[in-house]
Amino acid sequence: MLFIDLLQSIADGLLFGATYSLIGIGFTLVFGVMHKINMAYAAASVAGAYAGLTLLKLAGLPPLLVIIMACLAGAVFGLLTYVLCFWLIPLSHPLATLMSTVGMLLLIDEIVVHLTAGMPVNYPTVMGGMVSLGSFLLRGDLMFIFTIAVLAMAALMYLIYRTRLGLATRAVSQQPVAAQLCGMRLGQVNALTFTISGALGGIAGSLIGSAVGLLSPLLIAPLTVKGLIVTVIGGLGSIPGAIIAGLLVGAAENVFQFVRGVTERDIYVMLLLFVFLVFRPGGILGADPGRN
Amino acid sequence: MLQVSDVETAYGKIKALKGVSLSAAKGRITCLLGPNGAGKTTLMYTIAGILRPLRGSIRLDGQEIAGLTSAAIVSRGLALVPENRLVFPQMSVKENLEAGAYRRKDAAGIAEDIARMYARFPRLQERREQLAGTLSGGEQQMLAVARALMSRPRILLMDEPSLGLAPMIVEEVFSIIKSLNRDGVTIFLVEQNAHMALGVAHHFYLMEQGRVTFSGEPGKLAEDEVIQRAYLGTRRASA
Repeated sequence: MLFIDLLQSIADGLLFGATYSLIGIGFTLVFGVMHKINMAYAAASVAGAYAGLTLLKLAGLPPLLVIIMACLAGAVFGLLTYVLCFWLIPLSHPLATLMSTVGMLLLIDEIVVHLTAGMPVNYPTVMGGMVSLGSFLLRGDLMFIFTIAVLAMAALMYLIYRTRLGLATRAVSQQPVAAQLCGMRLGQVNALTFTISGALGGIAGSLIGSAVGLLSPLLIAPLTVKGLIVTVIGGLGSIPGAIIAGLLVGAAENVFQFVRGVTERDIYVMLLLFVFLVFRPGGILGADPGRN
Repeated sequence: MLQVSDVETAYGKIKALKGVSLSAAKGRITCLLGPNGAGKTTLMYTIAGILRPLRGSIRLDGQEIAGLTSAAIVSRGLALVPENRLVFPQMSVKENLEAGAYRRKDAAGIAEDIARMYARFPRLQERREQLAGTLSGGEQQMLAVARALMSRPRILLMDEPSLGLAPMIVEEVFSIIKSLNRDGVTIFLVEQNAHMALGVAHHFYLMEQGRVTFSGEPGKLAEDEVIQRAYLGTRRASA
């Protein structure tokens, strides 16, 4: 019985971990092309989920479409983050954009708290039922968010590896000077990367909202931390790394919760990060070896 | 074809180019020699639009290109093969070539040019699906040249194409330079290897400490003087 429960928590964790993968990808994409951390990313993702819900209600659309609305809103917030925190800020100073994005994180958090009076908002849950496989139960909503997350990742992979814009994104992240010599515009590629990562964030935010059943500004801080942990464990700049690390952190977190309870859970997640930093500081799929 | 007049470029407050003037004639190989730190790479990056000049003019076929973005300059027919090659290491050879044609929209023409590059550099065809980072130095140099050619440049700038290559490969690189030039590509070449460079150049300049200090046609007399100055970076070596 205990063993089944353990497996159950691993399965649930893996399914939910797909949202962490998306958040990790968002951090890692921006780091890949700009070699900067966007601290406001998880906040903008949650804001995208809020804005998606608001748009949905305004337009009177069916609940399923909340993901698409959040994706669009997230893309706008991503671009906005780029303009305000990167385009307007001198990039040569290493700490300037770190400060500007932390400022953006706090600003978004504050705006969300004010607009919702600090109260959680109910979020539409899709496919609330259960699927049973023997003594094994799979939550329908978790399977749904996993499927959507995988589709989003597949779309991203197609964009990055099969299109002209993706070629430019990879070129800029691997060799920015040569990318410019080929006629690629850094500003354009950066803006595009922020927009794409924002769209993924919006999707992740709405998936998390629908899995939890509500949205709250209290999601922002832990999601920021989890996203950064996933990015580091996966290897800064590696998209496949972020995917694997997201699933790993999701599963590990659920196991820790199962074994030690929800109050101690995050201690062990931090410990996992610590273990990686000590024994494999480059992350699962190492840092990009391509820069000289 | 390319005319650089009185160009100054600075990194912060340090001027790397202190009023450089030179020109590269159409259909010829022009070579720029000079010791380390003379500002040769800075000049190349300034012409290609990676760095912005503080003042001065850079003209391509009479049109001012100083201050344009590198994207605009590539579109006007000037391509740079950068120092250290700078291939995209995690992309295949084929993708590197496609990246070189980024500003072009003619899919058929691009495919044709890729085939032409494979014909000119058979090694690249053999390794077309291989990641560029796994190629040898010489192969990476060929790839960097082919990538630059993919933009169909009228003038090709090359920054130290022999850097870090074995002598046999250096010979090969220079024979490629000659054959490109025979096919009508104007070439402006920066080299440390003065001996090899003077072997192919129609005209050369010597640059020292951010200024052009010598200009002439290659010949025995000039060569001794220039090699000494290019390597030792001094007017009269005491040795």
